[in-house]
Amino acid sequence: MSVIIIIFLATGLVFFAGGAIGIIRFPDFYSRLHPAGKLDTAGLFMTMIALALYTIYEFNVDNLITALKIILIVVFVFLTSPVATHAIVDAGVRAGLKPWTKEKEKEDNK
Amino acid sequence: MKKLGLIIVLICGSLMLYGTIDFPDWADPSSPASTHLSPYFIETAMHDTAVPNIVTAVLADYRGYDTMFETTVIFAAGLACFFLLRRFQRRAPDVNLFRHMPTGITLRIKKGGKVPVDSSEFERIDSIWVPYDLIIKTTCRLLIPFILLFALYVIAHGHHSPGGGFQGGVILGAGIILYAISHNLRAAKARIKERFDAYMCSAGVFIYVGTGVLCLLMGANFLDYSALAPLLGTDPIMARSHGILIVEIGVGIAVMAVMICLYYNLSSAGRQDEGL
Repeated sequence: MSVIIIIFLATGLVFFAGGAIGIIRFPDFYSRLHPAGKLDTAGLFMTMIALALYTIYEFNVDNLITALKIILIVVFVFLTSPVATHAIVDAGVRAGLKPWTKEKEKEDNK
Repeated sequence: MKKLGLIIVLICGSLMLYGTIDFPDWADPSSPASTHLSPYFIETAMHDTAVPNIVTAVLADYRGYDTMFETTVIFAAGLACFFLLRRFQRRAPDVNLFRHMPTGITLRIKKGGKVPVDSSEFERIDSIWVPYDLIIKTTCRLLIPFILLFALYVIAHGHHSPGGGFQGGVILGAGIILYAISHNLRAAKARIKERFDAYMCSAGVFIYVGTGVLCLLMGANFLDYSALAPLLGTDPIMARSHGILIVEIGVGIAVMAVMICLYYNLSSAGRQDEGL
């Protein structure tokens, strides 16, 4: 059981680390939202599953309810995180920000 | 003038820093606060008020005065925002935009043109063009009931867990503000009108002070909830617990109304016709 929990936690941390690096390393606004929106959700999913498994380690009704509450967090983040990313991208497009391209960067560097 | 202000600030700051020398050290176990106050609250809060969360008991019962004036400060902040920002002269916009709901066509009506009758087919939209975003609207409509429910839980569960009137009120206000952001200001104002919001603002403070005055009328000290026992039909200790809940509800209403008032005024620069 604890091996499974550790695997889940480690995968979650990999996702979080990837998200953090991605936000710094990607070239522009839109591509930065890609790690921010996806990898954080995936990382949260993995870590929360691990925490839920950890709470029902000693199985009784109270722990089960706590685990269900943790799953509820995942459900709400799954609902809100993509919508928030969608809204931010929408605002960027409406404000007139052009997406990054390789050609454009070459022109800027000239 | 600026230099004078700087000098005054520096003098006051150094005086305050000088005053901190007399304070007890951080986490000093022999300081007056941890030898007299904290043990008293820890030992007697449960017997006195039947509230397991000592923070709530101290906040709303032992230090009831303090919290009452905190609520009044929040109310004053809402009032200040209203008086500073609210502008009443209505300025007819040059162009009115309407959306025909079934087809999604946007109508542009100049000043003096015939405005469509307010029916279910036409929806007035802001002059800063806002596209119809189904995803955001649907998700917010799904989420807002849960947010409001959670806020009520936070208010009601302040006796047992972290939470209470201030936190719950802010979450309630945030739920309404989320509705205003995801639709528009007019939709939110159709749900919670400005006048109603102002009434709620003062009603929250009124509930708090009214509870205190009721205690006075029942022959006890101001905000001594144990005097409410005959009204609530319980023993004095449980009456203190219920009194805390009543007061927290008042705080929650006031904070929610002030949050909404701040958002309405700040997002539309006081005009409250079009906003974010």
